[in-house]
Amino acid sequence: MSTPAIEIRDLEKRFIVKQGLFGTPRHVRAVDGVTLSIPTGATLGIVGESGCGKSTLARLILGLLPASAGSVLVEGQDLSRLDRRARARLIQPVFQDPFSSLNPRRSIGDIVAMPLVAQGVAGRETRSRVAEMLEQVGISPDMASRYPAQLSGGQRQRIAIARALVLRPRILLCDEPTSALDVSVQSQILNLLADLRRSLNLTTIFISHNLAVVEHIADTVAVMYLGRIVEEAQAQALFATPRHPYTRALLASVLTPEPGLGVPDVGLGDVLPDPSNIPPGCRFHPRCPVAIARCSLQTPPRVDGAECHLLSA
Amino acid sequence: MSLLEIEGLEVTFGQGEGRVAAVRGASFSLARGETHCIVGESGCGKSVTSLAIMGLLARGATRQAKRMEFDGRDISRLTEREMSRLRGHRIAMIFQEPMTSLNPAYTIGSQMAEVRTRHLGGTKQAALDRAAELLGRVGITAPGMRLGQFPHQLSGGLRQRVMIAMALMNDPELLIADEPTTALDVTIQAQILRLLAQLQAELGLGLLLITHDLGVVARVAHRVSVMYAGEVVENAATADLFAAPRHPYTRGLLECLPIPGKVAPGAPLGSIPGMVPKLTPGFTGCGFRSRCSLARAECAAPVALRGAPHLYRCVVDA
Amino acid sequence: MRRSGIWIGGAILTLVVLAGVFAPWIAPHDPYAQDLTRRLAVPFWMEGALPEHLLGTDQLGRDYLSRLIFGARVSLIIGAMVVVVSGAIGITLGVLGGFFGGRVDDVVLFLITCRLSIPVVLVALAVVGLLGSSTTLVVAVLGLLLWDRFAVVARATTMQVRNLDYVAAAWAAGSSTPRILISEVLPNIMTHLAVVGTLEMALAILLEAALSFLGLGVPPPLPSWGLMIAEGRDFMFFSAWVIWIPGIALFTLVLAINLLGDGLRDLFGAAPS
Repeated sequence: MSTPAIEIRDLEKRFIVKQGLFGTPRHVRAVDGVTLSIPTGATLGIVGESGCGKSTLARLILGLLPASAGSVLVEGQDLSRLDRRARARLIQPVFQDPFSSLNPRRSIGDIVAMPLVAQGVAGRETRSRVAEMLEQVGISPDMASRYPAQLSGGQRQRIAIARALVLRPRILLCDEPTSALDVSVQSQILNLLADLRRSLNLTTIFISHNLAVVEHIADTVAVMYLGRIVEEAQAQALFATPRHPYTRALLASVLTPEPGLGVPDVGLGDVLPDPSNIPPGCRFHPRCPVAIARCSLQTPPRVDGAECHLLSA
Repeated sequence: MSLLEIEGLEVTFGQGEGRVAAVRGASFSLARGETHCIVGESGCGKSVTSLAIMGLLARGATRQAKRMEFDGRDISRLTEREMSRLRGHRIAMIFQEPMTSLNPAYTIGSQMAEVRTRHLGGTKQAALDRAAELLGRVGITAPGMRLGQFPHQLSGGLRQRVMIAMALMNDPELLIADEPTTALDVTIQAQILRLLAQLQAELGLGLLLITHDLGVVARVAHRVSVMYAGEVVENAATADLFAAPRHPYTRGLLECLPIPGKVAPGAPLGSIPGMVPKLTPGFTGCGFRSRCSLARAECAAPVALRGAPHLYRCVVDA
Repeated sequence: MRRSGIWIGGAILTLVVLAGVFAPWIAPHDPYAQDLTRRLAVPFWMEGALPEHLLGTDQLGRDYLSRLIFGARVSLIIGAMVVVVSGAIGITLGVLGGFFGGRVDDVVLFLITCRLSIPVVLVALAVVGLLGSSTTLVVAVLGLLLWDRFAVVARATTMQVRNLDYVAAAWAAGSSTPRILISEVLPNIMTHLAVVGTLEMALAILLEAALSFLGLGVPPPLPSWGLMIAEGRDFMFFSAWVIWIPGIALFTLVLAINLLGDGLRDLFGAAPS
């Protein structure tokens, strides 16, 4: 395979947290050494629970937050060396909440045209490209003069997708794009994303906490826990034979609509992950049902895409 | 005899021409020791139904019902005072966002004790002992310490456990939970639901669970009511509903879900075209007909529930 | 009740604005024309009123109704100009501080604190007293002193809007910072600022009247309501209406603007202090 469409190398984000007036400032690693790469046209799913750093990772990749270390390369170009307009042509986001992601004071047409205007595209061409893009996401171009408040959640998310794709970026980064939507609308958006991906040969990063959705849409999956990718594998392999204990717990807690199975015992105990107080050694060890003494002392090595001491033994 | 019996519940908001129906005839019943789920998408009237039962509707809402009985007693004509004596005592509830239901200015212990002493009297110390016992019961370690903490010192999962313990303070017979795990992570959700199911079985509670998540329904419910556009469109035992859904909406909803092992990855998912109709005063008949491929002329007239015990509200035979 | 506030306030304000704009056409007399033979003529509800002077005349025989109508001009122009000047300063500072945060915000907060520690009336009096009174000076002084509330509200609302996803989307789409501020942030904080604008306008009108009353506002013979009250001071025991009429006009206008502002605030659900 040729060069990957996007390559993330050792990306790291440290925040400085001070507790109390005289507390000593501590470094919190919200994202710690994330390395990922996606071939052109493929979809990478990133799953994890709240506080695992997946949204911070999204902001780092988009350049909305400066990284403390590491780099993001799209088609071999380092995004941090590009200006904002050049970066915008390579990667675009779709956010979770379709109610806060559209400016309520601007019309649909203006919202979708915004990236073109930022690139300095002239008036007439803007209009035709906006109309074409709206058509592509299943919104009638007649609606261009309406305002976001007049649309349903699903239509709003279609507008957000149109805005992201109007520049024809190489990479589409979706941060929980269907989490705020109803099931019947979610399926429409997932179908739309799948269609667009195929017709535009888009490379997609799909961040979600919904494992069923990720399993449906992703080619490869990365599982994030307290800032680190603890397991990364082909989607089929990961869902069929999860190797990291956290991945196993995560998969076990998915409630598929199959009656009679009851609620599974996840076996994670009461200790909750705290991003401002990351445990030494393997980050998962305080909750891990199979932890051994070594887990609290050493950072586990990565073996075949999973970071766990038990796999390396 | 059933613990909760609701028949023909109707709720409207607003006045005159601006009137909008939120619930247009919800009927279901719930026995002791049974978990009944009301499932539906946003705006279907499921939360309004639970608030109407509790007598907690916002001002400007009108409630009507053919029958609304709790433990054989008509609760539709209770005064606000009688109702509030029932709430928190024999009927308890848990909401989606525990942070808004807990008072940030008081400790967990004093809030839990207050619930008990207000309804049942007794000393504060006895109430605190009871609170500590229940916190232990819902799987909170070091309950004594937690009693002295404030809500903001707890994580989301812990707060929801506290809410459950608080709901159990007065040994209720009916527990109404409105999206209790929606704001939580999947691993925490599984833990909380497991806990709820265990407590329900041990204490013989009637549990009315409001949710949008069909996965939750499948795993915890004994019986399900599917709501759409203010109506219960299908009401069946959980296994029957998932095995052979009878209402076109239920079928459509199940086809929308990416179910691992059933829907091939990447294959197109089912979808329901169109939008929920606006339930203005003149609206009658099946609310789903504008989106339904089987719709016919008679769908515009009110459709009755039929097919007991697997009830569905559709003119087309399933 | 809330809605009625907007309607009543809006209606009164519209009337006053119309009166001010069309003053030369609706005023029955020249507001500056003196007629010493007809000094202190009484208004229409009192005995001996002159039919051509509906609200009577002042101590120099000038038609009081005409002066009142032209006085609305002075109040409104000064109120509006002060809002423009203070709004420009306050909104710029507030938006910059709220959007960029960090050092910029520290500077903005420091400026707001400094401004809040200056006693407005005292400084206005001192400056006007030193430099002599003129309309421009009144506008300049009040404009430079009344921007703090704009800055506080603009800063707080910008901080909320800055974190919304549509701003992130504009950023990721390559929009320049000025464009983000102008087309994404400003339109979404405007409703809050409009409420502040009404409150500041009412305050500016009152302060102008106060300064004019003390002889330090607009110079005579301009018909400012505050000046009219000041000029009527010596006659208030025998001809109380020379104070009542401009006083009631001032009270009504300020009340109307405040009603409108409160109504707008409730309507938008904003809560600026």
